[in-house]
Amino acid sequence: MILPLIKGLILTLTRFLNPKTCVTMQYPDERPKLSARFRGLPELQIGKDGREKCVACGLCARVCPSQCISVEGAEDETHRRYPKTYELDAFRCIFCGYCEEACPVRAIILRDTFELATYQNKNVFDKEQLLDLTRKRNLPG
Amino acid sequence: MNIIHLVIDDKPIVAPEGTNIFQAARDNDIYVPGLCYHPKLSQFGGCRLCFVEVTERKRTVHRFACAHPVSEGMVVKVNTPKVVRYRKSAMEYLLAHHELSCPTCDKSGECGLQNVTYELNLGPGRFKTVRMHHPVIRDNPVLELNRNRCILCGRCVSACKEIEGVSAIDFQNRGFKTVIGTAFDRPLECSFCGGCVAVCPTGAWQDRTLGFKGRPWEFESTTTICPYCSVGCTIVVNTKTESVRRIVSNDCLGINEGNLCIKGRFGHEFIHSPERIKTPLIRKNGELCPASWKDAIEHTTKRFRQIIAEHGGKLAGGIGSERCTNEDNYLFQKFCRSVLGTNHVDNMSNIKSPYLNSLIYKSVVNGIASASLKEIENANTLFFLGADMTEAHPVAGSMARKSIRMNNANLIIANVRNVLFNSMARNDIRLNYALGSQAMLINAFIKIIIDENLVDLKKAEAATNNFPEWRSSVDKFSVREASQSTGISEETMRNVSMILTKPGNCCIVCGKDIEEDPLGEITIKALMNLCSLINAAHDEKTGPRKVSVLFSRTHNNSQGANDMGVVPGFFPGYLDITDTTGREKVEKLWGVKPGNDIFQKESLNLIDLALNGKLKALYVMGENPIVNYPNGKDVREAFKKIDFIVVQDTFLTETAQLADVVLPAVTYSEREGTFTNMGMTVQRLNKAIPPVGDARPDWQIVCDLATKMGQPYSYASAKEILSEIGSIAPPYAGVNYDRLKRKEFQWVSFVYDKNRPAKYTFEIIQPATFNIIRKKDFPFILLTGASLNHQGAFSRHSKSLTLVAPACFAEINRKDAREMHIQDGDMVTVESVRDKIKLKAKVTDKTPEGTVFIPEDYEWVPVNLLRDRAYTPVKIYREAE
Repeated sequence: MILPLIKGLILTLTRFLNPKTCVTMQYPDERPKLSARFRGLPELQIGKDGREKCVACGLCARVCPSQCISVEGAEDETHRRYPKTYELDAFRCIFCGYCEEACPVRAIILRDTFELATYQNKNVFDKEQLLDLTRKRNLPG
Repeated sequence: MNIIHLVIDDKPIVAPEGTNIFQAARDNDIYVPGLCYHPKLSQFGGCRLCFVEVTERKRTVHRFACAHPVSEGMVVKVNTPKVVRYRKSAMEYLLAHHELSCPTCDKSGECGLQNVTYELNLGPGRFKTVRMHHPVIRDNPVLELNRNRCILCGRCVSACKEIEGVSAIDFQNRGFKTVIGTAFDRPLECSFCGGCVAVCPTGAWQDRTLGFKGRPWEFESTTTICPYCSVGCTIVVNTKTESVRRIVSNDCLGINEGNLCIKGRFGHEFIHSPERIKTPLIRKNGELCPASWKDAIEHTTKRFRQIIAEHGGKLAGGIGSERCTNEDNYLFQKFCRSVLGTNHVDNMSNIKSPYLNSLIYKSVVNGIASASLKEIENANTLFFLGADMTEAHPVAGSMARKSIRMNNANLIIANVRNVLFNSMARNDIRLNYALGSQAMLINAFIKIIIDENLVDLKKAEAATNNFPEWRSSVDKFSVREASQSTGISEETMRNVSMILTKPGNCCIVCGKDIEEDPLGEITIKALMNLCSLINAAHDEKTGPRKVSVLFSRTHNNSQGANDMGVVPGFFPGYLDITDTTGREKVEKLWGVKPGNDIFQKESLNLIDLALNGKLKALYVMGENPIVNYPNGKDVREAFKKIDFIVVQDTFLTETAQLADVVLPAVTYSEREGTFTNMGMTVQRLNKAIPPVGDARPDWQIVCDLATKMGQPYSYASAKEILSEIGSIAPPYAGVNYDRLKRKEFQWVSFVYDKNRPAKYTFEIIQPATFNIIRKKDFPFILLTGASLNHQGAFSRHSKSLTLVAPACFAEINRKDAREMHIQDGDMVTVESVRDKIKLKAKVTDKTPEGTVFIPEDYEWVPVNLLRDRAYTPVKIYREAE
């Protein structure tokens, strides 16, 4: 009767003490390794000219099921279409990735940003903040 | 017209003979794809998408639906496999060199090409795509042409030619290199009506005022009425997040059938102009300071009370607005009459031509006035008397072109100036009469008609009251003399008289040049005599026949402001103030008894009263008399003599700058109410956005003032005010606010009973020419008129309109200019006894010799300061460099 118990405990203890099978992670000292197709916060991409790639076509705002994106287009001096404002409410976002799928110019990509806790019922990222996420990523080192 | 029975896609339908299959299918809600066909335009047959299978007379063939007329027993199939295959390959050709820039194209979402591509489920084509790489043409502030997106459907070419009559654009080159463009690729020189944008099925023509500021699917559309001229076009305001993004037209709505002019389509930027007044302003130590509504209303009522207590209500006055709604104007005059206790209420159009209201009402009662602007479209003869349709009422001009195209109408244009009107009329007669001889001209027509028995005079005598008496007064008139003084040959006059008396409908547009002329009263009376003579002599049995007059008005609601009794002579609905029954009715409804002594007819107008020191307080609603008052600089003097001025407006106009209290009002997009256009058609506005800033609708401000002054007005909405108007004003008796949403209301048909027409009494007048005094120092006569690109404060604050027409100009005859060595575009000074202004010279053949024409709608160029009571003599000289 005691034997099966010991057998069980051995299994538990080997799992518990073996570093290879331990799932506990020392977050935030230790960062999780995310899969390549992880869907975190959508980020605005930067084009070769150093500006946003987005052309304010409004398809992401249209397709968004939780209606967390709002885009205001405008025309600049070179008659290029660009987003004058681009707002994404991370509190509403359900990270479905439809915006990435809809985007005709690959200007919005869901990356690995997932730390989005706030005290408000709103967490609006404006255009610059969304671009900054990409800018930080591009920093050397 | 024969009715044809046919079957389209197994659905039996009927269509009138001559209709093409495409239109027949469309009328019966059967969808046939097509990009080049447009019901308003002539067919072109260029897109090749409306390919259908047609079985007629036992033969099955394939035809283009837009180019094939319906025939009896025809069987049409829209979607057979062969047809779809053909259609797909036609689309492949169209898309082979299309730019496919949908993400950045403003048309995306309402694009015909995109829709058909989606429907046919097209993928990448079989052809190697060749992009065109044409540069985008942005040579003007409102329109943009991207030839890479063009599918050469030819709609814009037809619209420009047929609707606007400009023909500014056409096809260029041949074959693969064909593009749309102007002659020699010069910058676009047209009226900028935007018809090309409205009909373009792709994004080749774009509205630059939109400028990527929204997508079609994001917009909320509100149907409302244009705030500029008195045609009253229906426009669709597209809004997003409570701001107006663009104006579009709808072919199925309103009297304009989707035609608009530059002001209507592109003049919307003033709504969100930073210069709008957003809070009430009160003058403190000589400066206008922002204040709260509570303070402003309190201050205003305190001062009004003070002045009434000191001087009595009679020394207060009010100027109503030709731009505000009927409801605003009704409450305004009610406030002035019942709360302030004054009969000094007026509006600018009545100040300019005080005789007009009673004459228009008389012509309505006698069935001379047109019941609607639609009568232009149904006319067989069009006679524009002193009306510059292209500049003043561009969309009515488009209607006239439609009647010329459809009915082959005759066109007669009588004007002092050789005004521009593009048309393809077969009978196009231009009469450039000498200045001041218009009454002679009309009388000459009457005389010729009587002398040559062009109408049945016996019948005319029976149908009217004082025909023999009037006829003997006309007998003395000599056509030869008239010919000499007008400068028009007798033969031409005879010709015109013949055309006017021809069978068919005749529509006369009586323009601003006639109405605001010193001779206006007798000219309009003569015109009414002419119409009655022809109408009365007509025998109903020979077919429908009617001569009707449209009185052109300046602003969107000039007619309504006068209908609402914002005039000293009438209560709402043209109830005479001296008539006791009308006054009792008004008193009963308003629940107040204004003193009898105030309702007397004054010979002076409001500004003259102020000039004589007989006004102590003035309440101006949505009007800018400092600029618009036609009789010169007096108005500034007059305003200085008034102790307390309240101005209620959307912008800080010249008048508002002189005010003691300025109250911010809303624009047309932010209000509910009704406008009455020049055809006496009442149309309803709908609110598209909430008021900008602290602005309030005018009627609400009037209500607040009245309530504060001890007479609570308890109106909750414009609807309640309109129902009160309906119960007080006989012409508006049948109006219903909810019904207006679906259908406009034409009050003429309620006043004029077709079956029991009133007997006309001819106006016995002595036609005279106006003696024009030409002074030696001031050799030119100043003419003023309307402008296509501008009208009032609204266009002045619309960026695109000021870019299209940045500067006012003085039109000088070529000969005069040559004598004075003035070149086109030189800066010249125009000086009268009163003032002088500096502007650009425009050397043309339009203006007759010895005159100079300056449009008065450029508000920042105060032409009216130059003017005198009658024709103003001016001199022109070139500014020394």
